[in-house]
Amino acid sequence: MPSKRLDQARPFVTLGVIVVAWLLVPVAVKAFLRASFFELTAPITLAASRIRDLQDYWSLRLHSKDELIEAGRDLARLNASYELGVQRNAELQAEVARLETLLRLPSFTTYRYEHARVARRDFSGWWQRIVIRKGSNFGLPVGAPVVFTGGVVGKITEVHATTAVVDLVSSPSFRIAGVVEGDTRPVSYQGGINPGFAPPTGVVELVPLDVVASPQAPKRLVTSGFGGVFPPGLMIGTITRAAMGGDGLFQSGEVRLDERLGSLAEVTVLVPL
Amino acid sequence: MRRTLVLFATLLLLWAMLSVLNHALAEWRAHVFAGGLFVAYAALHQPRRSGLAAVMLGGLLCDAHTPVVFGTHLLLLSAAHLTLFHLRERLPREDNLAVTLVVLFANLALFLVFTFTQLPGTPAPGAVWPRLLLDLLWSQVLLTLVTPWFIALQAGALALARVPREDLP
Repeated sequence: MPSKRLDQARPFVTLGVIVVAWLLVPVAVKAFLRASFFELTAPITLAASRIRDLQDYWSLRLHSKDELIEAGRDLARLNASYELGVQRNAELQAEVARLETLLRLPSFTTYRYEHARVARRDFSGWWQRIVIRKGSNFGLPVGAPVVFTGGVVGKITEVHATTAVVDLVSSPSFRIAGVVEGDTRPVSYQGGINPGFAPPTGVVELVPLDVVASPQAPKRLVTSGFGGVFPPGLMIGTITRAAMGGDGLFQSGEVRLDERLGSLAEVTVLVPL
Repeated sequence: MRRTLVLFATLLLLWAMLSVLNHALAEWRAHVFAGGLFVAYAALHQPRRSGLAAVMLGGLLCDAHTPVVFGTHLLLLSAAHLTLFHLRERLPREDNLAVTLVVLFANLALFLVFTFTQLPGTPAPGAVWPRLLLDLLWSQVLLTLVTPWFIALQAGALALARVPREDLP
């Protein structure tokens, strides 16, 4: 009878041994194992991404020449307006530099722009992140901000040899100080609630009481520039609801993020210089 | 050793396919979880030691790609493997329907336990449940469809590598 009981308890004893053994493994070994397993599978992630690119290429080849000519003409128009924007930007930058010198202000962090293709998207209810096709081979650092045409994408959390992992702005682990556009008082943003088949959302706290936001009159939430990671003025999302918080001193609310976060194909990493 | 490596190779294939699927589903803010499929064949048809080793390697593979404490999947999958291994003599292991049901129950348990390990970091845990339940629904539908195929694939891979099935005389 005791041997039968021992036999029944065997799986749980084995599990206990595994748990204890795992707890005793040094952190350095665990970090090495994590990196090794990630690198082992990186070629699979990259190959899948390149096959998708190839599919896109061949599907684009099916377009007629007329369509290509139309697209080229539209791009030429866009380029002309962007060139004007670039000239205006250079003018403004020179003005900022002149004022910084005049007022002896600390200068803004400057960045190098590194464009990267998205190799893998992971949009679970627990976290949201993407893997990009550039890593330490392009000098990407951990913590670098990642942006796209719609504003903030997220922040690099892991850098590997040829890939990097970006924690998205919609992920619960992503926190940032933002400001309501046109205001200077900082608010706290955190990603988190991501309903299926709907745009991703986040939550905002410490919103001043005089800020009124509703679905009919949403307020734009932009980066504050505090902390020096993200440059100021980048779009985070729109505050669609703000209500009195539990403390009675500030409001908390909901932020609607860009729908395109779930279908990103290319992003830009801002590498601080 | 060869048995463990072949089983791990099939789990690697499963992980790669799930990655591609989840990449495509991201556009609709959906996600599938197939933890139950990582353990089923190893627990129901393989010797304890080599099956557990393969499942543990599969757990480490999942841990490396998720922002969780390293070892979370390893311990959860090991626990599921050992529980199924303990029960396997009482289960009709050769019946596809029964195996699919086992996979569905294992997946449900793993999904719920994993969710409870992740909820403390969420700003509004109550609001996350509808999304998680929807993800669970997709996952279970997918597992119902692919379990017989994947179990056959694992058996086929072992046969191809000339590794004898444990339950054959």
